[in-house]
Amino acid sequence: MSVGHGTMAATKQRPRMGRVAAWGFMTLIILVSLFPFYWAIRTAFSTNSALFTSGQSLLPIQPTTINVEKVLGLEPITAGGATFDFTTVLTNSVVVATVITIGQVIFSAMAAYAFARLEWPGRDAVFLVFLAGLMIPPIFTLIPNFVLIRNLGWLNTLPGIIAPFFLMTPFAVFFLRQFFLGINRSLEEAALIDGAGHFRTFFRIILPISSGPMFTLAILTYITAWNEFLWPLVVGREREVHVFTVALSFFTSQQPGIAPDWAGLMSGTMIAALPILVLFALTARKVVDSIQFSGIK
Amino acid sequence: MKKTRLIAFLAVFSLVVAACGGDDGSTATTAAGGSATTAAGGGDVVTIDYWLWDSNQQPFYEQCAADFEAANPNIDVVISQFGWGDYWDGLTTAFASDTAPDVFTDHLARYPELVASGVLVPLNEFSDRDGVTDIYFPGLADLWTDPEGNRYGWPKDWDTIAVAANAAKLDEAGVTADDLAGATWNPQDGGSFEDILKRLSVDANGVRGDEDGFDPSNVETYGFGLEGNFGAFGQTTFSAFAASTGFEFLDKNPWGTMANYDDDRLADTLSWFRRGIEEGFIAPLEDTQSLGGMTLYQNGTVATMTNGSWTIGGYTGLEGIDTVFAPLPEGPEGRASMFNGLADSITTSAENPEAAWEWVKHMASPECQEIVGGGAVVFPAVPSATEIAQETHAANGVDVSAFTVHVDEGTTFLFPITSVASEIEAVIGPVMDAILIGQETDPYAALDAANEQVNAVLGG
Amino acid sequence: MAAAVAEPTRRKLGDLKVALIFLFPALVGFVVFYLVPAIRGVYISLTDWNLLANEGEFIGIENYQAVFEDPLFWNALKVTGVYVAINIGSQTILAMAIAVMMDRLTRSVTVRGIMLLPWLVPNVVVALLWLWLLDKNVGVVNTWLEFVGIEPIAFFGRPNWVMPTIAGINTWRHMGYTALLIFAGLKTIPGSLYEAAAVDGATETEMFRRITLPLLRPVLALVLVITVIGSFQVFDTVAVATGGFGGRPGGPINASRVIYLYIFENAFSRNKFGYAAALAVTLFALLLVVTIFQMRMLRAGESDLS
Repeated sequence: MSVGHGTMAATKQRPRMGRVAAWGFMTLIILVSLFPFYWAIRTAFSTNSALFTSGQSLLPIQPTTINVEKVLGLEPITAGGATFDFTTVLTNSVVVATVITIGQVIFSAMAAYAFARLEWPGRDAVFLVFLAGLMIPPIFTLIPNFVLIRNLGWLNTLPGIIAPFFLMTPFAVFFLRQFFLGINRSLEEAALIDGAGHFRTFFRIILPISSGPMFTLAILTYITAWNEFLWPLVVGREREVHVFTVALSFFTSQQPGIAPDWAGLMSGTMIAALPILVLFALTARKVVDSIQFSGIK
Repeated sequence: MKKTRLIAFLAVFSLVVAACGGDDGSTATTAAGGSATTAAGGGDVVTIDYWLWDSNQQPFYEQCAADFEAANPNIDVVISQFGWGDYWDGLTTAFASDTAPDVFTDHLARYPELVASGVLVPLNEFSDRDGVTDIYFPGLADLWTDPEGNRYGWPKDWDTIAVAANAAKLDEAGVTADDLAGATWNPQDGGSFEDILKRLSVDANGVRGDEDGFDPSNVETYGFGLEGNFGAFGQTTFSAFAASTGFEFLDKNPWGTMANYDDDRLADTLSWFRRGIEEGFIAPLEDTQSLGGMTLYQNGTVATMTNGSWTIGGYTGLEGIDTVFAPLPEGPEGRASMFNGLADSITTSAENPEAAWEWVKHMASPECQEIVGGGAVVFPAVPSATEIAQETHAANGVDVSAFTVHVDEGTTFLFPITSVASEIEAVIGPVMDAILIGQETDPYAALDAANEQVNAVLGG
Repeated sequence: MAAAVAEPTRRKLGDLKVALIFLFPALVGFVVFYLVPAIRGVYISLTDWNLLANEGEFIGIENYQAVFEDPLFWNALKVTGVYVAINIGSQTILAMAIAVMMDRLTRSVTVRGIMLLPWLVPNVVVALLWLWLLDKNVGVVNTWLEFVGIEPIAFFGRPNWVMPTIAGINTWRHMGYTALLIFAGLKTIPGSLYEAAAVDGATETEMFRRITLPLLRPVLALVLVITVIGSFQVFDTVAVATGGFGGRPGGPINASRVIYLYIFENAFSRNKFGYAAALAVTLFALLLVVTIFQMRMLRAGESDLS
């Protein structure tokens, strides 16, 4: 009896200790994830010239909103005159990221189905070639793709920025293939035996059943498209087609003087990150829910 | 079945594309740089794409362009500004894809490689025909011709180096601006300049660098800061000191065929910097590495530093810091400031070189340069325009004579021009780091070896 | 008789027709934006291509010979290797821990959202942010270090610190993202397996080793393959963080000249595009070997579930 009691207590005690340690770890991770952002915001609302002399107060130093106003074009910058054309940049980024996401996820899912579920000669070899696409150094693709876009007359247009990512990325195909591999075959086989074609099986069974990974991929794709820098910089230099990353880079490189304006830089950074954070905040529940409830098993 | 799918897909794709394109129909036309479009009033209007990197100068070039367009109604100048970081990579991509601007601001360290790749248009014929001659500060125009005498630019501005000093720190140390201006330097004991730097250095206990008990491992304020890493040419850093010993980068400049990095006077100079870092009167390279010397200066970590005339506005714009400029210290062979300048070049992508030349000619003219001079951002290449810049500075209460004195007294040396500047940078840059960090303890041997590598590239 | 012949042919071709339709859009994208440029890149690596003039002469395998004799190439490989080892090691372990704990501790969307936050910002911004945080003189991290009695560290200015620092920054950026992927994989493991194991008296560690790890294999393979490839191609963080405002990308000395930075320098600054292409092909070949090895090791094509 006493022995039994002892074990009971021990088993109760150990998980509780473990839980405390685990929560401690999680709290640390959360703090580490958040702090740099807090610091950026604190810097954005500080007076730039005071940043270097007034120590490391956790609160903004000589609080001001002038940096944010400068970025938004509400307050003129003395030289150069660089601001975000906020609505244009926002529209461009949203259009680019949305179109890329829709195209890439659908077409990659179709390809992934062909790799994961259909039987055809040379399948694995072709898949390996696709996979190898992940390893093609971007420096190879940058210039030929640029020339292609120029020949199409799409320089400084949104289609030019979208095109290379619209039909597929090796990552998206690979990602969905790995998830499709895990889907229980029996459902699908039943449908096929019932006479449903591959298309109906794909759209009616595979897609709904893998909405979790699909949604996850969509979010990942959206964010990747949003953060894409080198390509839109090269093909979309005109102000009218600036996306956030490019606008930010132009903003930072047009700072007057020669010492970096950290307060202005951090304002620009935070404003550029804001829309994606809002979007994420709005959809986060959906992402998590879809992963939890309609997960692939 | 397959065919209809394909058509359906293409239709969807083109719809999406058209939908996106519709939003920005206007950009397609503005993007067509360099091509001729028909103006409403009849006659062809030529668009000239012009790139520059300095946003501070853009308003003044916009003014030049407005005047130019008024005088040449058939030419439309479109100015694009890209930050220094994006500028050269962007230009390379543009050349590789035939989308280069017609005219761009060119740099002495870059143009020889562009010439070697055959993407710049020689200006000789145009200049001879229109009687454009060298009306600039002596020596500047010579930098833009290759060994065969082909000219690739007419100068637009120039820059020199001087010492920027924090006036409050000078006061605290009891050093006057005149002390600094009259300082002498040599690589062995650092001369009176080293005395001043030590005097300006303060450790955590408030002990100054020239007092007993100074702790070089715990310095609060360094007498001198490095603008950035040295690189191969040290324009704002070691070059002024090395050249004041009589050191020259190349056997002849421009277009030398042998480098002199094995000159002991260079190693002497670098050893002095290393000693300064060890003795705590020069800020270590690692402090400068990430945010740059300007941040250290702003932060009060360094009391003085050398920097280029294009940064004058950066110093005078610092809130809470009063900066005085002093000429470089006098070395064993006198003062020596690197003399560098920019010019405008025409690319082979220009569809209408004639119109491009008209724009280049305008920017090289006193008329445009005097407008730029009025902005007091840089010193224009035409002397009359530089006078205007000096007057504007003086009116703003900034004494820039520390920079102009080098030109007035002829104590300048030209930026070393070779066709392999980036190769030299790749070889020498890391060696300089290693010497300053102290990882390379024998600068003489290291520079001998590096010089052999450089000469192999230069000779080949 | 006819049917008997037709049957095997159909088997052999299987679903080829359907597969082609499913593959078509992705195939077009792949060929146009990946395959053709890659083949062109391989050709360029056999020339002395000048990017500015956009032309070059065929010189055979000269570039490749030069690559293997280039001490800076081997240095770049070493630097990159150190980076990959530190980055992948720390990132995978942390992500795994986070995913398992998220799975066990909390259903909170906010917690998961916060973890993903660093991944939402572009690399360039992340580099700037950390440059600002970690600077020796004005960075807040060094102020804290000083407060607890540690001498300020020039994270980006010391040859021994720079690569571990950058690896750490990218671990910070990617751990939440990687954890999310692993977490999605964890959700595919039927809870009934754990219940059964618990009934059999298995401990948490045993369950992790016997159930979680093996069943996580397809997703783990995905995660490792993707992150290792991405890690080998690290570029913008290094360029921005080591270039900074006073540094030299790749510095100090050559301590952070990772392979991709070296490729970029050759192509864009030193105007040796042919040589850069040869370096890129070499990197590609290396990645291919590493990936095939990983796929074999992890038997990525199979799931123990089906």
